[in-house]
Amino acid sequence: MNRLRSTLTDPLVLATLSILVLLAAGEALSPGFARGDQIVRLLVVSAILGLVAAGQSLVVIGGREGIDLSVGASISLGAVLAGNVMAGQDGSIFLAVLVAGGATFLIGLINGLGVTMLRIPPLVMTLGMTGVVQGALIVISRGIPSGNAAPALMAFVNRPLVFGLPGILILWALVGVLMWVLLRRTRLGYAIYAIGSNERAAELTGLPVRAIRTLLYGLSGLFAGLTGVIVIGYTGNSFVSVGDQYVLPSVIAVVIGGISLAGGQGNYFGAMLGAIALTLLTSVLTTLQLEFWGRQLIFGAVLLMLMLLYGRAGRLRA
Amino acid sequence: MTLLLKAESITKRYGAVVALSDGGLELEQGEIHALLGANGCGKSTLCKIIAGTVAKNSGTLSILGRAVEIGGPREAEALGVALFYQELSLVPQLSVADNIFLGREQRSGAGFLDARALRRDTEQLIARFAEVAGAGFSADALVSDLSPDQRQIVEILKVLARKPRIIIFDEATAALDRNQVALFFAILRELKAEGVSSIFITHRMDEVFEITDRITVMRNGATVARFVTAETDRQAVVHAMVGDVTALAERPAARPRSDKPARLVLESVGNKRVQQVSLSLRPGEIVGLGGLQGQGQSSLLQGLFGAAPFTSGTIRLDGEQVRISRPSHAIGKGIAYVSGDRGRDAAFHGRSIFENIAAASFSKERPAMVWPGRLRERFTKAAATLSTKYAGLSAPIGSLSGGNQQKIFIARWLATQPSVLLLDDPTKGIDLGAKADFFALARRLADEGAAILFYSSEDAELLSLCDRILVFNSGAVAGELEGEALTAYNLTNAAYGRAA
Ligand SMILES: Nc1ncnc2c1ncn2[C@@H]1O[C@H](COP(=O)(O)OP(=O)(O)OP(=O)(O)O)[C@@H](O)[C@H]1O
Ligand SMILES: [Mg+2]
Repeated sequence: MNRLRSTLTDPLVLATLSILVLLAAGEALSPGFARGDQIVRLLVVSAILGLVAAGQSLVVIGGREGIDLSVGASISLGAVLAGNVMAGQDGSIFLAVLVAGGATFLIGLINGLGVTMLRIPPLVMTLGMTGVVQGALIVISRGIPSGNAAPALMAFVNRPLVFGLPGILILWALVGVLMWVLLRRTRLGYAIYAIGSNERAAELTGLPVRAIRTLLYGLSGLFAGLTGVIVIGYTGNSFVSVGDQYVLPSVIAVVIGGISLAGGQGNYFGAMLGAIALTLLTSVLTTLQLEFWGRQLIFGAVLLMLMLLYGRAGRLRA
Repeated sequence: MTLLLKAESITKRYGAVVALSDGGLELEQGEIHALLGANGCGKSTLCKIIAGTVAKNSGTLSILGRAVEIGGPREAEALGVALFYQELSLVPQLSVADNIFLGREQRSGAGFLDARALRRDTEQLIARFAEVAGAGFSADALVSDLSPDQRQIVEILKVLARKPRIIIFDEATAALDRNQVALFFAILRELKAEGVSSIFITHRMDEVFEITDRITVMRNGATVARFVTAETDRQAVVHAMVGDVTALAERPAARPRSDKPARLVLESVGNKRVQQVSLSLRPGEIVGLGGLQGQGQSSLLQGLFGAAPFTSGTIRLDGEQVRISRPSHAIGKGIAYVSGDRGRDAAFHGRSIFENIAAASFSKERPAMVWPGRLRERFTKAAATLSTKYAGLSAPIGSLSGGNQQKIFIARWLATQPSVLLLDDPTKGIDLGAKADFFALARRLADEGAAILFYSSEDAELLSLCDRILVFNSGAVAGELEGEALTAYNLTNAAYGRAA
C-alpha cells in the first residue's frame, strides 16, 4: 500500500503515465494523433520547450526560490537577433548562434547578479528583466516581424537528418546527456545541488555560492537564447513576443519532472519527460479547439495541482 | 504510582531498515524517565511514534490502561503528548514569541482568556531563561539571529507552552551549558511536582543520574533493560547500552609540550562578538575554549574559518600572515570547521550521504570531474571511522539518526586531512562510544601534527581532551588553565571570572 502510493507519487512514473494517457486520449479524439510522423512532430515541439526547461531546471535546482521568468524575453531576443544576423544566409548561422547566445547569456548574468548581489527576489528580478528586454525589442524592431531563418537551420529543425529524426532531436538528446554529465559527474553539479539544498552549509564547505548562482541564471539565459535560434528555425521568421508562450510551460515542465521549487532536488531527465507530457497536453487541447487563453488556464490549473500533490506527498507520514 | 503511558512491542521498518524491532516504555504519572541507548538504536523513532509524527507498523500504545491509536500529531496533542524534536523545528524568520505560539492561538477550545494566560506564563518563562541564555535572547528576537543553545531553549518553551501532561525531550540539553541545564532541570522538577511526566533522552550520563527517576535502555531497536535510577549505577547502565563499558577515556598523561614553532597565531583578533583575542597553537596541541555558553567561543572559531570574518587583528599560519575572509580561504589553507549546529550549518537536506561527505573534500581538492564509483571506497572508509550506522552511501542523509548524521559531518572534515581543526561543540548528539572514538581520533590527529581548537558546551569533554583551556568571558579570554590546574573546580571558577 505504502509502496504503491510512493510509486504513484514518483514524478518520473507520473510523467510517463501522463504521456501514455495523453497519447491514447489524442488518438481517441483524432485518429492518427499517435502516428509515427506525428510523434516526431510533437517531439520537435517538445525539444524546443525542453531546451528552455534545461536552463529553468538549473535555476530552480539552485534554490533560494530560484525561477527565471525572463526566459520568454530571452527567447524572443535570441530569435530576433539570430534572424537579423542570419538574414537567410547559411553561412551566418554560426555567427547568429554566437550573437544570440552571447546576448542572452549576459542578460542571464545580470539576472544572477541582481539576485545574488542586490538580493532581489528572483521572481521580481526576472520579471523586471522581461519588461526591459521586451521594451527594448519593441523599440528596436518597431514591432514588425523581422529576420529570416537560413535554409540549413530550417532543415535542421524540420527535416529528418538521421533515422528519420530531425537534427533538433539529436541535439536535444545531446543536451540531455550533457545536463546529466554536468549535474552528476562534475564538481559544479554537486555544488549546484548543495547550494540549492542548504546555502549556509554550502558556504561553510567553501562553495562560492553567489558565483555559482549567478552562473546558473547566465546558463538559463543562454539556453533561452539558443531556443530562440531554434524557434526561428521552426517558424521561419521572428517577432518580438515569440518567446512569451514558453514561460509558464518551462516552469510546469520542470515541476512535472519532479524538480522541487524549493531547490536542491530533481534532475533534467524528469524535466524532459515533463516537456513531452506538456506538449502532448497542449496538442490534445488544440485538438479540442481550445485557444491560447483556455490552454493557459489549464496549464495554470495543472501547475497548482502538481504543487498540491507533491507538497502533500512530502508531508505524508512515513 | 499510576501507569500513565505504556508502549509495548512497537515495531517500525523503513524499507529494509528495521528502526524498531521491539520498542517498549512504561511511563508513570509524575516521573522523569530516561530513555537511553547508542546512536541509531531507535529512541527518536519510538518517541515520534508516541507523538504521532511517525506511524508504527505494529505494537500497542495505551494511556491510563486504555489502548489508544495515535493517528497524527494533532491526536497526540489532544491526549496531552508533546515532543521536543531532536532536529529543531523552528521557523527562522519569526520571532521567539511567534514561534512559541505558532499554531496555538487560533486553536478552538483554548478560549481568549486562556490564550492570554498562556502568553503571560510564557513571557515569565522567557524572562527566567533570559538570565542564562546570554545576549540577544528576548521574546521579540528573530530566531535566525539566535545561537544554537538559544534556539534549543525556544524549542523547549514551545513544548512547555502546550501545557502537556506527557513531555518527550529528545536531546533537549545537547547544546546547553551547565547553567542552562540547571534551570531546565528546575523547571522539570516543578512540572514533576504538578504531576507532569517527562521522557528524557540524553547522551550525558551525569544528567541521567541527576534528574531521572527511572531508566529504559534500548539497543538495536529493542528495549533491553529497565532500571530505577537510585538503585543502579553508571556502569550497569552503560553496560546495558553498549554491551561492554566504554567510558570517556581519561585524559592521557600530560604530553610533553612540543617545541615546534606555532602553527597558528592570532594577534588581538576581533569581530562582532570577540574582542582582542590572542592565542598561539602549536602542531599537536589541543586547546579548549571554555566558559559559559555564548561568550565568544563559537564566534572565534567562525572568525578563524572565515564564516564571520575578523575585522581586526592578524592571523598567522606557520609564521606567515594570512587573510581569511571566507570559508574557502580557510579550507584552502588546511583548516576544517565542524559545527554542532548540523541542521543549519552542515546538512544538505534531501541529498545522499555520499554528497554530504563529499562536499568539503571537493572544495579542497577541486576535481573538475566526479567519479562516484572511485570515491565510494574512500568515503565508505571515512563514514566508518566513527562506526556510523547507515544503510548505504546513497541513502538520504535524513534517514540517519541524529547522532549518526553528526558523525557524517565530522567524517566530512576528517576526509580533508586538515592541519588545523576547529571543533564547535562537535559531539552534539553522538553517543558515549562514538565520543570516545572521536576523542581518540582527535588525539591521533594531534599526534600526527594537527593543531586543534575545541569548544564544547560540556566541561567534562574539555577536561578530558584538552592540553590547556582558554576560558572566555564576554568575548575575551579571561583566563587560561593548564597542567595541574585543569580541574572542574577551576574551570567553573574561571568561567565566572573568579581567580582559579
Ligand atoms: N526516515 C528514515 N528512513 C530510513 N531509516 C530511518 C529513518 N529514520 C530513522 N531511520 C533509521 O532508524 C534507526 C533508528 O533511528 P533513531 O533516529 O530512532 O535513532 P536514535 O536512537 O534516536 O539515535 P540518536 O541517538 O543518534 O539520535 C536508525 O538506524 C536510522 O538510520
Ligand atoms: Mg535521536
